[in-house]
Amino acid sequence: MNATDLVDLVQSVVDGVMFGTTYALIGIGFTLIFGVMHKINLSYAAASVGAAYLSLILVKVAPTPLVYLAAALLGGVLGALIYYVCFRFLPLDKPLATLMSTVGMLLLLEEIIVHATDGMPQNYPAMFTGAVWDVGPFMIRGDLMFVFVLGCIAMVGLRLLLTHTRLGLATRAVAQQPVAARLCGMSVDRTNASTFVIAGLLGGTAGAMTGAAIGMLSPLLTLPLTVKGLVVTVIGGLGSVPGAIVAGLLVGGLENFFQFVRGVGERDIYVMALLFAFLVFRPGGLFAAPGGRD
Amino acid sequence: MDFYLGLAQVIGVHTLLGLSAWCVLHTGQVSLAQGGFFAIGAYAAGMLTVMAGWPLPWALAVGSLVSAAVAVAVGFPALRVKGLMLVVATTAFAEIVRLVFFNFKWRVQGPDGPVGPDGGLGFGGIRYFQSNGWTAWDVLALIWSLVAGVMLVLWWLDRSRIGTLWRAVGEDEVAAQSAGVDLTAAKVSAFGIGGAIAGLSGGLFSHTTTHIEHSNFTILLATFAIAYPILGGLKSLAGTVLAVVFIQGVLIEGLRFLGDWRSLLFGALIVVVMLVRPGGMLSSPLWQPSASRRAASRPKGAVDTKARHA
Repeated sequence: MNATDLVDLVQSVVDGVMFGTTYALIGIGFTLIFGVMHKINLSYAAASVGAAYLSLILVKVAPTPLVYLAAALLGGVLGALIYYVCFRFLPLDKPLATLMSTVGMLLLLEEIIVHATDGMPQNYPAMFTGAVWDVGPFMIRGDLMFVFVLGCIAMVGLRLLLTHTRLGLATRAVAQQPVAARLCGMSVDRTNASTFVIAGLLGGTAGAMTGAAIGMLSPLLTLPLTVKGLVVTVIGGLGSVPGAIVAGLLVGGLENFFQFVRGVGERDIYVMALLFAFLVFRPGGLFAAPGGRD
Repeated sequence: MDFYLGLAQVIGVHTLLGLSAWCVLHTGQVSLAQGGFFAIGAYAAGMLTVMAGWPLPWALAVGSLVSAAVAVAVGFPALRVKGLMLVVATTAFAEIVRLVFFNFKWRVQGPDGPVGPDGGLGFGGIRYFQSNGWTAWDVLALIWSLVAGVMLVLWWLDRSRIGTLWRAVGEDEVAAQSAGVDLTAAKVSAFGIGGAIAGLSGGLFSHTTTHIEHSNFTILLATFAIAYPILGGLKSLAGTVLAVVFIQGVLIEGLRFLGDWRSLLFGALIVVVMLVRPGGMLSSPLWQPSASRRAASRPKGAVDTKARHA
């Protein structure tokens, strides 16, 4: 391997890490919901892409930043909707029931998208597409950098929300001890619903970021995003937000690394094999939640 | 008429797939690997009849054994984790299998040119039924007699000691373990038997459709596999058959007159079934509200402590 190859390799890994912020955000969404309810919301990535699709309504009338904001807000609305349809009225002691209802919701959202757009991919506005920064032998694409920065802002925002607001306090309390939280007079239902809204806000942002980084939206994005989000959640450790961030960037980088080394057809085999090895040898993930829960 | 025969064949193949997931769900594990075992069975049986010229029964048997062997080999490491971790681990396995077949190319010279899996283009020309003069009725009879056979075996297993062990593990792992049940043996045996059934249904699938490719075996297929027993209710085998007829017959084919709206209704109806009968369609007598509704109205604290272990 000569020097130019090495530069290309590092370049593509860096691009992957920047795109990995979208995986990190989806992973955080899964992990937040799991932390609070101990349930998987399989329709989460589909709702995220759906929110990005819905924000396309504004694309003709509003500037691009407003479209992204709309995607985030619509993601929150969809999150609340999913909580009330798929979780609120189902018995929570049956894990299979909510698993199935969210699968139904995943299929429903995907079909609504296909139906509304006739299955055609839709262009999604990006920012700073032309801009390129040169850093030594590497170049940093403006649109990817923007996605990366937006992802970091969303993560810092989440961190502040969780540690500095009453809502964040409530979320963490319910995640740690639902019974004790109720004894203190908190409404677990309302906290659960607001966690879905927070996760939805992140998901909508992630959907918009995916659209901006790829340049288009397609219903084919939902399943890979769901799988990647779950992978990130598990590698990072269930219920751990920092773990999801690290794992998201890691998966993004490794994906491009394997793509560079082995080609696009085989890239996911190695990512999945790595995940499998992780589960077998370190089932708790990188940052397992403290305490002997689960 | 041909249409209905084809539909009945599809329902039979999917019933077997649902039954394979039923085995694993019975031990309380949610596995999305069934699509992977299905794919292995489909490719193995197809390659044996097309490339090696084997007769179908042997090819089906070997395909199903290969799937079972892979299931046991994967089951030992994968079943160390449970819950969401197992869902993700088995998803990873199913994706690996799909991508391996996406890259899998092995062409040999057949009588009418090269045959065999051709990477992303798929594996066509699995025309055993056509070249041996089987009618649609013959194929249908073969599929449904295999379904009946598998259901009989599972019915017997369920009433034998093995079924008791599986259910004990599924109801409460800690209690089962303290009663001396070997958790690994129970889970891996369920995984292996489920893998064999999935491999068998995969072999039937590749021979009825004559062309298979990696996109037949996505996570969506695995999701369908676990959807059948869950929607039907885990308490009975008939629930799985009912759910397959409901999904493949009524939702996918029966609603064709609705055109595009059919697929919208499909996801919505799954949500509605889970809301109305969270334990599955046959979880309790049909004229009663589902037993789990009463469970849901218990004091919330009790629900939470149970949900902990989910």
